[in-house]
Amino acid sequence: MLRRRQLLAAAATLPAPALAQGAAPRPAQIVVNASGGAMEQLFRRSYFAEFERRHGIRVVATSPVDFGKLRAMVESRNVEWTVTELGGQDFMRAKELNLLEPLDFSIIDLSRYPAAVRDTHIFPSSVYSTVMAYRSDVFPTGQHPVGWAQFWDVRRFPGPRSLRNHPVDNLEFALLADGVPMDRIYPIDMDRAFRKLEDIKPHITVWWTTGAQPAQLLVDREVVLASGWNGRFFDIARRGAPVAVEWTGGSLKQNAYGIPRGARNAVWGQHFLQIMTMPELQAVYATELAYPGLHPDTPNHVSAEVRPHLPTSPGNIEKQYWIGVEWWTQNGARAQERWNRFMLRRS
Amino acid sequence: MEKRFGTVRALAGVDLDVAEGELLTILGPSGSGKTTLLKVVAGFEVPDEGTVRLGATDVTVAPPRARDVGMVFQNYALFPHLTVARNIAFPLEMRRVPRDEIARRVREVLELVELPHHAERLPRQLSGGQQQRVALARAIVFNPRLLLLDEPFGALDRKLREQMQLEVRRLQRRLKLTTLFITHDQEEALILSDRIAVMEAGRIAQLGTPDELYARPATRFVADFLGESNLIEGAWQGGAAVVPGFGPVPLPAPGTDGAPALLLLRPEALRIGAEAQSLPLRAEGRVVESVFLGVSEKFRVALDGGPELLARLPLRPSQPSPAREGDRVALGFAPEDLHVVRG
Amino acid sequence: MSSAVDRAAPARAEERRWVWLALPAVLFLGALFAWPVLRLLAQAVEGGTLEHLEKAVLDELYVEVLVESLEIALWVTLLCLALAYPVALWMLRAGPWGRALALFMLLLPFWTSVLVRTYAWMVILGRNGIVNRSLLEWGVITTPLPLLHNLTGVLIGMVHVLLPYMVFPIYAALLRMDPDLPRAAEGLGAPPWRVFQRVVLPLSLPGVFAGCALVFVLALGFFITPALLGGGRIIMISMLIEQQVREFLDWPFAAALSVVLLVVTLGAYWGLQRLTGGNRLAAG
Repeated sequence: MLRRRQLLAAAATLPAPALAQGAAPRPAQIVVNASGGAMEQLFRRSYFAEFERRHGIRVVATSPVDFGKLRAMVESRNVEWTVTELGGQDFMRAKELNLLEPLDFSIIDLSRYPAAVRDTHIFPSSVYSTVMAYRSDVFPTGQHPVGWAQFWDVRRFPGPRSLRNHPVDNLEFALLADGVPMDRIYPIDMDRAFRKLEDIKPHITVWWTTGAQPAQLLVDREVVLASGWNGRFFDIARRGAPVAVEWTGGSLKQNAYGIPRGARNAVWGQHFLQIMTMPELQAVYATELAYPGLHPDTPNHVSAEVRPHLPTSPGNIEKQYWIGVEWWTQNGARAQERWNRFMLRRS
Repeated sequence: MEKRFGTVRALAGVDLDVAEGELLTILGPSGSGKTTLLKVVAGFEVPDEGTVRLGATDVTVAPPRARDVGMVFQNYALFPHLTVARNIAFPLEMRRVPRDEIARRVREVLELVELPHHAERLPRQLSGGQQQRVALARAIVFNPRLLLLDEPFGALDRKLREQMQLEVRRLQRRLKLTTLFITHDQEEALILSDRIAVMEAGRIAQLGTPDELYARPATRFVADFLGESNLIEGAWQGGAAVVPGFGPVPLPAPGTDGAPALLLLRPEALRIGAEAQSLPLRAEGRVVESVFLGVSEKFRVALDGGPELLARLPLRPSQPSPAREGDRVALGFAPEDLHVVRG
Repeated sequence: MSSAVDRAAPARAEERRWVWLALPAVLFLGALFAWPVLRLLAQAVEGGTLEHLEKAVLDELYVEVLVESLEIALWVTLLCLALAYPVALWMLRAGPWGRALALFMLLLPFWTSVLVRTYAWMVILGRNGIVNRSLLEWGVITTPLPLLHNLTGVLIGMVHVLLPYMVFPIYAALLRMDPDLPRAAEGLGAPPWRVFQRVVLPLSLPGVFAGCALVFVLALGFFITPALLGGGRIIMISMLIEQQVREFLDWPFAAALSVVLLVVTLGAYWGLQRLTGGNRLAAG
């Protein structure tokens, strides 16, 4: 309690513009809240180490990512986190609810980032893609299905398939399969998408729920084609499974970070995010998990073996589309309800 | 018959015959094999050797249900979810007796055990004595060839127990039920039995009528187990048994000279003081302890240069106690009251 | 009748004096159960509108899912009962080692995470799993049986986890039974199945009832196992509730669905109790 009051008093005496100009006092530490686990280890090796070296401020990691907690912190004006990861599609909501500090582009340089992910409040930390993977022993590369129309083509590419038990991605895939061009997906025509999904439904043996499932299903030969997150397929392919990825029609999504509104050392949060844009450091994370940061130079800093497995590598990124976060934020609940009905209908 | 559990011989050669209409008691302490014997007869265990016959039928390996044996368990084993009537009807239903006959026989047997108005109660609504009657009714309602009673009075208080013992006795006589009664209570055995088999370590130590067993026990164990006894280590000399403190007592069929003799004197055979003076065998001693028992008084007397003996004298209200603790008294007995347990 | 009542009366007075011992438990339950349930009820009618409840009760989607959830829970309960009863009987007769082994095997699913368990089932039941491969090799079948990613898989997975909840109450009821009772029945002329039907089964009914109630209620609340083993084809009401809470933050509607589930569960419980005369037997 005492600490909090002192801090408030300290904040009141400091003129706000001084903070923004980088003349802010150097705190002993900043707090980065993220998912923890293996990711924290990689962050420690890359972003944390660089930030500590460059600014002499210790980085303390906390977890888990919790939208409710973020909201409570901001609303009670007692923000512990300097920077936080924003789970799933929560970043849109966080921005709408005014829970984030604006990004300071005099500190953070996003000029070379793809336009699709540049935002005033949301920092695009890395990217992952929902892609099609196939058993390369069943469909030798080159004779494998390319794009969702061929995924739908059960006569030419027979065999059990798996898709996620969720409307996100699947509605887009259905439209792409039905001939909608990538740049015309949004706004989604739900009637058309669900109609197309009916065609593939009998051939989906598993509607997967967790990210590990599609990879495992392919390894077990339970299915020969599946959608899934590129990092999972990268992992099993690296360990020798006859599984390969087709990037065409992949659904790109960003992981997001932000600075909670009212964060104590917001300026240093901006500096931390700037560190996170460095392609050399992004390459560390990308090499391990195939989830690269969005700096266009990052693929140049990974080994030649890893490069084709990154969704952002030239040759891959053009084949994919960026998911319409806005559309989903507005229509998610409605789409889910239709999805439930669709799943329930026996056909 | 033999029955072994692992290396333990629970039954080590038992040969027993229950006569038609007889109440035969298996008497023994716990661990003597009486429960095993009961289980073998009831069919819950199969003997390793020997046969079990009911009448002319060999039922050695027959399952319990095929034996036609009615059994009353220690805790009665009444079915708690069934009414008294349904409990009693159970063996009849299993025998596919027609419904109206079941009703009639249940009614009859409830009259017999004097519970005519309890048919619709559940066992837990009955007292211990009533539960026992129901258990008995259930065990006899199907006219079994053999009735087994497994320590059935153990759970009752003393007064109720005595009452139930007499009732069971009356019923057994009246219906001429061939009955095997298992108990560790020698008093109970003496009251109820036509014959008693005393079991010791998986064997029958002695088989006989209650008075035979009491008066002429065959072994030290039987003598000790049934009633109170003075067991005296004597010796044979010149055709007489030498009782320490009393001197030689000539007896028929004596042992060889110098051989030890185990002699039994029941406490009630001994007389004290004036009454002892007229008896041929006498000794002097000091009263170590006296216990007043209402109908009688018990004395522990240390003989001069001899063993301590227990004497029991009947009391009459008009007569004072013949001796007090610390008194010097004379003890005496009649030679025909001396029994040789082992020559 | 009267004597039993007479004896019960002072016992009840005695009981009343010790009632306060239950106070901590009552407070605990009140704080952690009754209060949240009330909050839930309140949330379902938040803003004084019945629209959420109306949707939960009238929309065919939710009605259909609810009916299917009840069906699945019922199947799981029946399967558990069929499997658990013999196990409980066997445990009653087994020696201490056998009992320890049974206990260990029954509790094993509790010590493994739901994901590990699920992947284990995939290895066993999958298209190329142990069962299908063996059957194919022995020539019993020519195409793999669909054991996973459908109702069969969900039932197997749920029964696996819930089996102990059925075994233990039945085992406890059997353990309470005087072992002389089946013996007495046998001695009175009952063949083994009659002993079971007339004595063992009725006396174990309180355990059966408790087990069924537990398994049924727990089964209704399952959502991870059916989601993973059902291949997406099986939707249980709890999955929809979880979806509403986690994904759409639509607490009022989630609360409305929960209230419907709660009411149906209580109704089923009550029905089951009526069916078996639960009270009377539990007292015996």
